Amino acid sequence: MENQKFALEIPYGTRDFLPVEAAEKRAIEAELAALFAEWGYDEVVTPTIEYLENLTLGTDRDLEQHLFKLFDKDNRTVALRHEMTTPIARLAASRLRDYPQPLKLSYISSAFRYEQTQAGRQCEFHQGGVELMGSATAFADAEVIALAIQGLLRVGLKDFTICLGQVEFVTGIMNQFQLPGSVQEKLKAAMEKHNLVAFGKIVAGLDLPQKAKDTLNQLPLLNGGEEMLQKSYALALNEQSRRALDNLAAIYRLLKSYGAEQYVRFDLGIIRDFSYYTGMVFEAYTPGLGFPLAGGGRYDHLLSEFGTACPATGFAIGIERILLALTRQGLEKPDQPKDVYLSYAAGQEAEAIQRAQQLRGEGKVVELALAAQSQEEAAAMQAAKGYDELVYLG
Amino acid sequence: MTSNNMEYLTIALPKGKLFSLSADLLAKIGYTAEGLSDKSRKLVITNEEKKIRFIVSKTADVPTYVEYGAADIGIIGKDVLLESGKDVYELLDLGFGRCHLMMAVPKAEKRDKLVDYDHTRVATKFPHIAEQFFNKHGMQMEYIKLNGSIELGPIVGLSESIVDIVETGTTLKENDLEEIAYILDATARLIVNRVSFKLKFDRISQMAADLKKILESEEA
Repeated sequence: MENQKFALEIPYGTRDFLPVEAAEKRAIEAELAALFAEWGYDEVVTPTIEYLENLTLGTDRDLEQHLFKLFDKDNRTVALRHEMTTPIARLAASRLRDYPQPLKLSYISSAFRYEQTQAGRQCEFHQGGVELMGSATAFADAEVIALAIQGLLRVGLKDFTICLGQVEFVTGIMNQFQLPGSVQEKLKAAMEKHNLVAFGKIVAGLDLPQKAKDTLNQLPLLNGGEEMLQKSYALALNEQSRRALDNLAAIYRLLKSYGAEQYVRFDLGIIRDFSYYTGMVFEAYTPGLGFPLAGGGRYDHLLSEFGTACPATGFAIGIERILLALTRQGLEKPDQPKDVYLSYAAGQEAEAIQRAQQLRGEGKVVELALAAQSQEEAAAMQAAKGYDELVYLG
Repeated sequence: MTSNNMEYLTIALPKGKLFSLSADLLAKIGYTAEGLSDKSRKLVITNEEKKIRFIVSKTADVPTYVEYGAADIGIIGKDVLLESGKDVYELLDLGFGRCHLMMAVPKAEKRDKLVDYDHTRVATKFPHIAEQFFNKHGMQMEYIKLNGSIELGPIVGLSESIVDIVETGTTLKENDLEEIAYILDATARLIVNRVSFKLKFDRISQMAADLKKILESEEA
């Protein structure tokens, strides 16, 4: 191999996974895939490209500018999938329509979004997640949240918080004050952009009694434990918000049965970046990572956009974000063992091959030298490649 | 030394004209530290008793420290925040450091309408905000990014106009420039890292509430 004088460029927002990194990524994906299978979720694979109109169905809030788009040979616009919920909703509403419900589906896959990139946020990224379709119950929501928590624990994270909200709570409060749709959109956009100053200014400009304005201004700040839920009932003078809080209380009771409540806080002001959410929504945070590790929620209307009404809930975990969080927190990553480097003196080739096959049959990871070596050369190679043990046939 | 540390609250303050105003305001709610000054050689100043750390940094870097979580909290002008495009919580309008962003041209060469400047050169420290503004007016401009003394642009023939912040207008007058278009108002903002706001919610929301009380009492 000749030395390259320079590294060849790769496109903006993409990355290579070198051997150790790829092994760590694979190990995390394997843990998640195994966990999802244990909970009865069947893996599905969908195309990397979809028709643009399928990905943007029922969405607003400038999704399209974040998509990678291209033309197929008939000049139809296709786009790289930006997440997996929409493609799986398409699948469930069409080809899996006659399967027994509830449908429990999982995926480990790449997705693409134009972003201002930083560590843990690239244009091409990998996600593992599940979609549970055909149930509108709190039981289904609690199951996916508990599974997300289990997933974060399974890959080795210890310190994280799930913030749980309900989009109907916020909408109910806004309806309670009879805010027109355009104002509601503006307020939600300000919350989504985390701009509480802009939120406050919109509220200040509304023709409402001061008490109503105070209630609206509290929305982004309703973050806390169980007591926050109780406190929020006092603000919710409408049926829609009350039902949303009842729903969260029911989910929380079930999370206690899972023994997962210590990871959960309520945050009633969460507005996630996809507008298809209709019920509970959640995000997972961990110290040292500037953005959520995982997120999800209920989306009861998305499937009807594809022609089959069906309630659904789910989540996605960011694989690169887990890798970054484990590194930054100095935690051990799941990795692949390197057991034996097997080398041999000239004339021992046949024995070496047999020995390697025997060890591999016992479940060992074995690298077989490609040519005879001296024992010193073999020891140097074992150290360089990071194998635990050297087996040398002299 | 990142906000990874759950015990400390790390606050990034900008050097320059916002520094003393920010430090004075924070001191009123007990957020201060011995030797806190923008002239200090120490880059990190800690108050061990109250578990607060201060980072004093270049103005334009404050949103970066906060977005990455190297600081939990920052104080920064809305102009710099908007130009940076960083994804952080904008929690409070602190009211001070008021200025506005505008477009100015040499008095002697003033044209009739804004669109008469279409396809000309504009010198600015804020190319992103400027571009958004001109796009809204359907104009395409050539943006020349400068880091200081923006008003020099038209004088030396580098550009036909400037987009810059103005507090009193004295600099414009001294250089025979005239404001022809208002772009936006800017004041200092309290910004918070997205994850810190969730993981240290009780402490940060209490701090914001205390600051709000001070600001309201000063207004009254």
